[in-house]
Amino acid sequence: MPRIPRAIIDEMVAHAREDLPNEACGMVHAKDGVPIAVHRVGNSAASPYRYEMNPVQMMRLERQRDDEGETLFSIYHSHVASPARPSPTDVRMAFFPPGEVEQEPMFPGTFYILVSLEHEEADVRAYHIRQGGVIEEEPIEVV
Amino acid sequence: MPVTVNVTSVIQQAVNGQREFKADGGTIRELIDNIDRDYPGFAGRITDDKGELLRFVNIYLNDEDVRYLGGKDTSIKDGDVVSFLPALAGGN
Repeated sequence: MPRIPRAIIDEMVAHAREDLPNEACGMVHAKDGVPIAVHRVGNSAASPYRYEMNPVQMMRLERQRDDEGETLFSIYHSHVASPARPSPTDVRMAFFPPGEVEQEPMFPGTFYILVSLEHEEADVRAYHIRQGGVIEEEPIEVV
Repeated sequence: MPVTVNVTSVIQQAVNGQREFKADGGTIRELIDNIDRDYPGFAGRITDDKGELLRFVNIYLNDEDVRYLGGKDTSIKDGDVVSFLPALAGGN
């Protein structure tokens, strides 16, 4: 069960709202398993229907994790008008090359967090996308 | 002409786990061929059966996407930094 500080949840929701009408995306870093920071990443697709994380920013964050002993706790993105559940595209793109669901996902162990702005109150949910393309919701415990 | 090559985690497996190394080439195409000679399987990780670059692999020359330069024919020079970066994407 992912234990996530309220401030981290609030920051992901704030990012999602600020980037309307487009989808927002980013990464949550953890230290010793505890989420410590939300890193907003530019959405190169700049679209309400899809996101593509700015690859150079992604690389810099990966280097930061390596250098600081941090881990990738979560990859998050928003759905501006649909539920907080990974779409078929989200599942395909969790694998490299995309759709090769019989391999290990690109980021095994990392939570995929969806922030839905479909309703007035944001809905934030966490999932694991497993080998085989299986989606498992992991109920968030807010701490 | 040595350039610095950066790769992220998904591609690092193909180059003995390195995140940064030196390689030679006058163009992106030559660079990929040379890396593949040193690390067999590298090209197969980023190209399809026809040798075309996978759509969801980004190659950056310094801070620019080579799609907006000359693609695989983009010239590179001593001291450049070339990064191979798989896309992370999705949508509703």
